[in-house]
Amino acid sequence: MTDHRDLLRATPSLAAVLAIAGVGMGLVVLTSFGLMPLVGAPEASLAGWRLSGTDLLLGVRETLVIATASTVVACAIGLAVGSLVLAAGPGVRLVRAVAVVVLALPHLVGAASTGLLLRDAGLAERVAGAAGLPASAGWPRLVGGPWPVATVLEFAWKESAFVALVVVAALGATHVARTETAAALGATPWQRWRRVLVPASLPAVGASGLIVFVYTVGNYEVAWLLGRAYPEPLPVLAFRLFTSVDLTDRPAAAAAAAVTAALALGTAVVVAVLLPSLARALGHGVGAGGSDLAARAGAAR
Amino acid sequence: MRARAYAALALAWFAVPVVPMLIWAGADRWTAPALLPQELGVRGWQAAWDAGVLAAGARSLLLGAAVAAIATPLGATAGRVLGWGRGWSRALVAVVMLLPVLLPPFAVSIGLDVLLLRLQVPGLVATIAVLATFALPYCAFTIGAGYAATDRTVEDQARALGARPRTARRRATLPALRRPLLVAAVLAFLVGWSDYVVTLLLGGGQLVTLPVLLGSAASGTGNEPTVAALAVATAVPPVLLLGAVVLLARRRTRSAVA
Repeated sequence: MTDHRDLLRATPSLAAVLAIAGVGMGLVVLTSFGLMPLVGAPEASLAGWRLSGTDLLLGVRETLVIATASTVVACAIGLAVGSLVLAAGPGVRLVRAVAVVVLALPHLVGAASTGLLLRDAGLAERVAGAAGLPASAGWPRLVGGPWPVATVLEFAWKESAFVALVVVAALGATHVARTETAAALGATPWQRWRRVLVPASLPAVGASGLIVFVYTVGNYEVAWLLGRAYPEPLPVLAFRLFTSVDLTDRPAAAAAAAVTAALALGTAVVVAVLLPSLARALGHGVGAGGSDLAARAGAAR
Repeated sequence: MRARAYAALALAWFAVPVVPMLIWAGADRWTAPALLPQELGVRGWQAAWDAGVLAAGARSLLLGAAVAAIATPLGATAGRVLGWGRGWSRALVAVVMLLPVLLPPFAVSIGLDVLLLRLQVPGLVATIAVLATFALPYCAFTIGAGYAATDRTVEDQARALGARPRTARRRATLPALRRPLLVAAVLAFLVGWSDYVVTLLLGGGQLVTLPVLLGSAASGTGNEPTVAALAVATAVPPVLLLGAVVLLARRRTRSAVA
């Protein structure tokens, strides 16, 4: 009975999500088929899909490369940092505090500063030059070059903090007892990490990795600032077409947006079907970033 | 020794990307290949001031506050089902709340644009509504974790002592959830504060927040001090807010102990 009353009370929040996210996605599909024009009568057409055809395919490839690489690097570094914090050695309180700060910074700030770090004549090139690294080949084009190095590093930088904090939040309570038991059974530090911590953290890493993947698929500003001009990842392609002076580009923009959403949603559905345990951990992963902020806020306890 | 080295490595990984921003924000001239600026100064801050950094900051602050004011109470109602609910009602809320996590905000904004124009919804209202929707899951799951960690019988006991349902919720349950509610509000604020693309798409260019100023400066070239000053101005308030939350929680814990 109480459950039903609680559900009733939650109706406005469910309605808000379904109205805004649901209607928004429905309309993006309609717009892509010419059924929701800014001016004039609706007319079903595939023009939008045709217009962005090749760019759309290249955009999917670019988006997948960026999202996959960012997720892999963020998960690897996030797991390493999370393990370090859980080991509770010297300096880890500072590492954890800095990870929380990184989590709170906007991606746009990270992208702007990463640009100043990695582009030609950026700080990284100056430091490399001062360290006497051979400059004969010139500084590689990390920003706007053929490989999305700066874009991936920016995503990995901020999202590794998220993965690390989710791992810490998920394992924090049980970690000490688990590793002490393993140590009592004679496990070396390496075995404790490899056979105890890594398997126990996999659901947290997997769930946060999925959130990172989906987020990087749909992010606009990082690749826009740090990526190359062509081919563009889907969000950059969609935004450019949407803000084009030519109104006939709007269905093409909507097509790119619909494909982006399908890519993100499709990945999550496939993962949920193939790995149900990961799907259960997903909700926890979304809250765990917040839970860790809560833990941090209560650190004096 | 090795643990210290790993901690230093982790700190370097998180700190190095923001170093150029911090140096450039205090540099007037810093030509390559010099490792340090040739001239220190506030040229970037003057340019940021001329670009309207103060007004943009105030708009960002209000946007973040409005998003938090809407998403936190809404998220609390969903969080109660996530934390205390069972069976299909909990599963339903979890699935619906995951939608905004999975869908790209820019795609939803592109879809809603024509409808909002036809309904003549002001850009500011549309931006707040969409951002609050995208902040909802973070609030719901954070507060849900708070409910899950709170003993449900607290509310039942208040009821048994004669409190009405609303009073029991307000006087028995809410105080126990103070911390997750505060964290949820901070997360929702950060969604509004950090947003770039939704503000740009639905704000119609009228809603110039700090990220909008920063994005426009960062896409240009030759204005590094300005970009750095705007980036610092965008980065500092969230960090101060986090610091304030930590201090507030610490003081509250101390006064509770005393």
